[in-house]
Amino acid sequence: MASLRSLVKRRHRDIVAVDGISVRVDPGEMVGFLGPNGAGKTTTLKILSGLLHPDGGKVDVLGYEPRLRRKEFLSQITLVMGNRNQLSWDIPAADSFELNRAIYRIPRAEFEAARDEFVELLDLGHLLDQPVRNLSLGERMKMELVGALLHRPKVLFLDEPTIGLDVTAQRRLRSFIADYNARFGATVLLTSHYMADVVALCKRVVVIHHGRILYDGDLRGLGERFAQHKTITVTMAEAPPDLGTYGIEVSREGGKATVEVPRAATSAVAARLLTDLEILDLTIEDPPIEEVIDRVFSTGPEGAAATMGEAL
Amino acid sequence: MGALRLAWAHFRIGVMNEVQYRVNFFVQVFQSTLALAVGLIGLWLVFSHTSDLAGWSPDELLTVMGVHILMGGVVQTFIQPNMGRLMTDVREGTLDYALTKPADSQVLVSVREVRIWSSVDVLIGAILVIVAVVRLGSAVGIWESLAFGAALVLGGILIYCFWLIITTGAFKVIRMENVLELFNGVYQAGRWPVSVYPGWLRGTLTFLVPVAFAVTLPAESLTDRLTPTSFAIGVAFTVVVVALTRWVWRLGVRSYSGASA
Amino acid sequence: MARLYVGVGRQAILEQFQYRVANYFYMIGMVAEPVIYLVVWSTVVESQGGEVGGFTAPDFAAYYIVWTLVRNMNIVLTPFAWEWRIQRGQLATDLLRPIHPIHHDLAYFAGWKFVVIVMWLPIAIVLTLLFRPTLDPTVGQVLLFVPALWGGFLVRFFALWALGMVTFWTTRVQAIFQLYFTAELLLSGWLVPLSLMPEWVQDIAAWLPFKWAFQFPIETLIGRLSTDQIVAGLGMQVLWTVVGIGVVAMVWRVGVRRFASVGN
Repeated sequence: MASLRSLVKRRHRDIVAVDGISVRVDPGEMVGFLGPNGAGKTTTLKILSGLLHPDGGKVDVLGYEPRLRRKEFLSQITLVMGNRNQLSWDIPAADSFELNRAIYRIPRAEFEAARDEFVELLDLGHLLDQPVRNLSLGERMKMELVGALLHRPKVLFLDEPTIGLDVTAQRRLRSFIADYNARFGATVLLTSHYMADVVALCKRVVVIHHGRILYDGDLRGLGERFAQHKTITVTMAEAPPDLGTYGIEVSREGGKATVEVPRAATSAVAARLLTDLEILDLTIEDPPIEEVIDRVFSTGPEGAAATMGEAL
Repeated sequence: MGALRLAWAHFRIGVMNEVQYRVNFFVQVFQSTLALAVGLIGLWLVFSHTSDLAGWSPDELLTVMGVHILMGGVVQTFIQPNMGRLMTDVREGTLDYALTKPADSQVLVSVREVRIWSSVDVLIGAILVIVAVVRLGSAVGIWESLAFGAALVLGGILIYCFWLIITTGAFKVIRMENVLELFNGVYQAGRWPVSVYPGWLRGTLTFLVPVAFAVTLPAESLTDRLTPTSFAIGVAFTVVVVALTRWVWRLGVRSYSGASA
Repeated sequence: MARLYVGVGRQAILEQFQYRVANYFYMIGMVAEPVIYLVVWSTVVESQGGEVGGFTAPDFAAYYIVWTLVRNMNIVLTPFAWEWRIQRGQLATDLLRPIHPIHHDLAYFAGWKFVVIVMWLPIAIVLTLLFRPTLDPTVGQVLLFVPALWGGFLVRFFALWALGMVTFWTTRVQAIFQLYFTAELLLSGWLVPLSLMPEWVQDIAAWLPFKWAFQFPIETLIGRLSTDQIVAGLGMQVLWTVVGIGVVAMVWRVGVRRFASVGN
């Protein structure tokens, strides 16, 4: 559905915001773009929605070239930016929805069906007639999402949609997006620096750093690619002895203790532990994704590439 | 047509929402009345010292004042609110939303806002014009009325184009508040027929800041001064400016999108 | 106290110089108004054989060009700022300081005026070239113009500071302020020199502070007043400044009490 080939985008002062990104997304996929601020995620989304013109390369979304901004193209996509509202501040959300209906030329019956359904799903019925400025941040974001989906777009560009929201609101929003994707087979391209968004919604993750793709694949693979070690947690009848000889002890609580070991040595160390100690339970895990990403991002582009190289 | 449909939707919803604030109506009425009083006093002062201003009689000048107020009302109701929002959108990045909608972006940013209570001035201006025409006893038949209507439309379009060009082209350089001051100051020049101004100023007020077209032209149509030539020039000029505005807008959007030159 | 004035004044100069582009745009936009008046009255003069109300066309030019300087000197704290200050809690903060907030305002605007005067000069030159005024003041008149100019600033500063305090008692201040400004427009020499107004209007204007802030400084420089009249006028400015300070002092005490009790 969306493919970019070797995108290059220059900003003034010759910072290359997006450098050589090649991605192909199939219909119905939910892809998460992960990366720190300034990585180029938002730039990529803007190029895909036609807001920015790339300096080089090809872009194709739903068979259209986004920068031409054809009406047929625009009526099948939607853009939601978490930190910027499109709903008018002073008028009730219901009225903003009416305006969107006029803009997207949605037949009344379909419009009302979509609106009523989404509003019920997100439990917003009683808030429709209040001016948007009276709503809390979470309620506002939900309204934004409803407004953005009234025309049942096939491709959703979501830029940090859950930013600033509390955990409950984030979860509601995520499940709503997942629902929409499941029911309508819409393609979702999501950027976030909240891992939780990506973990909850996207099977496929594209990690962008300094305008380049560091990784493109599934979440599990991400951990495997970048995490240079695994953690082994042992459970014993009483407090385990000092595990320093097996690896770096990371935590300990009662009968449980966790050590960090280099990935390559995992099975060997596990075997040793099982042999040496009276183990009740043993678990091997990847370190949390957040840590992995953090570590990747805290290195520069060379370091990240080196990390990739090392892990291979 | 799509543009009209969009405009109507936005107008309807804007009015519905603003009408609730009835206080604003009274505030507007008070303000407009005060402004009208000052205008009339000014006119009376001038004519306490002379009987004719650059060939215009008191009642003819009343016509000019009426058109000036009427057009001012149109600008405050339909044009200025949209330009203000456009400026904000550009500054805050919310223009992105207008550009990802399947509607002509220039139309969209021009019809979104309406300040309905400012139309009190449209009413006051219209009443003033009618009063002046009646006092003049001039023959205002079907042709003059049509010409008047057409001149008003042309004037409105020209001022809209002027504003959009300034807002699109200059926002990086000047802040909106300053442009507003500048325009409102220059618009006051429209209180008087353009023939009052010295030659070098006349050109500026006609072609650069089209106040003369917006105000004097319609007033001329009612006071038997409008020649087919000047009307034709008005039409031609408007067509050119509309095309120019479209071009400037497209350029502005491309620049906003970081399109390389 | 002197150090406060110098400090705040200097801050104002630096800040407003930073904003010089915005300041210039504002000043240029403001020139439109007097130019329009000038053009209209010059046209009237032409049809009346060269003179109206004691003014020839070049006289009008002189009046309205000096008008631009006096107008700029006249810009003081807008009474509308009070609503903003009260709502944003800035007034509450100011009340906690040991110095009366008026000092900061006075010092800031005074400092700003220096920038304004400097920026005005090129505008004045352009206008003079375009409109050929009769401007031929004696050294004495220029010297007396300086206190007259600043006197005008002070008169209006205190008058509007006092007016703004109406906000303590009501939020529906827009109507009151606009009425005030309309009266000022007509009775201060802003719209036209008062000698063009009917006698009865001139009589009313003589009892009000407006003309001392506006027309008087203008006339001092364009040479329409004798030295005696100028000195008398300066005295009137002092009078109205003192009255203004008195009103401010009285209203402030009552206003602050009300503010504190209402709590906002």
